[in-house]
Amino acid sequence: MDERYVRQIILPEIGPQGQERLARAGVLIAGVGGLGSVTALYLAAAGIGHIKIADHDSLEPSNLNRQIIHSEAFLGQPKVISAAIRMKALNPTIRVTPVQTRISSANIDALLDGVDIIVDGSDNYETRQVLNRASLRHGLPFVYAGVRGFDAMVSSFVPGRTACFECIVTGGEAPSGRGPGIVGPAAGMAASFQAMDTLKLILGIGKPLENRMVCIYGLDMRIHCVNLISNPQCKACGKLYNPDKRI
Amino acid sequence: MRIQLNGIKEIIPEEMTIKALIEWAKEGDPHLIVEQNGKYIYPSAYDGQAVFENDTIEFINPNLGG
Ligand SMILES: [Zn+2]
Repeated sequence: MDERYVRQIILPEIGPQGQERLARAGVLIAGVGGLGSVTALYLAAAGIGHIKIADHDSLEPSNLNRQIIHSEAFLGQPKVISAAIRMKALNPTIRVTPVQTRISSANIDALLDGVDIIVDGSDNYETRQVLNRASLRHGLPFVYAGVRGFDAMVSSFVPGRTACFECIVTGGEAPSGRGPGIVGPAAGMAASFQAMDTLKLILGIGKPLENRMVCIYGLDMRIHCVNLISNPQCKACGKLYNPDKRI
Repeated sequence: MRIQLNGIKEIIPEEMTIKALIEWAKEGDPHLIVEQNGKYIYPSAYDGQAVFENDTIEFINPNLGG
């Protein structure tokens, strides 16, 4: 037994077979900002065999209050490089593929080659719409999270089993300037929930956040779980619309 | 009447719909998510859906930062 994973392999829900499954899994982390910083570290540490990270940005000083995978020495460098180096330092046994690109409907299908789960690390509605449509087209779970201020929300959208992201979130303003204010722990809480659900979805254990959305209110330390249902009029997955149609 | 809105007890005018409650609460987010007594409410139903005494209602603003 690999000593690295012993504390999770001794869990009956995981065991050696579960660890094997994690090693065979491929995950796309769509953005290594506040969310992706934390999911990338936890999923690398857990031994996900292949993690692709996609982000077009370079590291800026205003990222460092929450994007804890990066460090000051990498200012001005591509975030995917900074993140990949840190992930490989944490766990050299996994494969990490950094892709410096702006995720769009033109490149998402290529990014999903060999991927089993899409983990949201984006910071705007449009990218999440691209990820949601790709999730529906390819039948891959989309583990969404979003953060603002002290608050966060998380849900896992699984094609054929749950509502989709666009059933529930119908739009959003494009980020302006440097984006909304965010404290690091809000992103960290959401990302930890995402990492937990990603492991569960790969392992087929427990109850993932399917048709449920956890809302975390950091200032009040209140957590609320909303039950979700599909919207038959959804533009992405509703019967009136064609999920194969690209946006 | 008394309801619980986002975890806080509120006294609101009688005979309200979800749509009226959104206006009463000055909730301006066009992408608001509404839950009434643990049930997700479609935006298309806001106008016809009545609010009742002791309802537990959550207004949730989607977060899109990262
Ligand atoms: Zn949908």
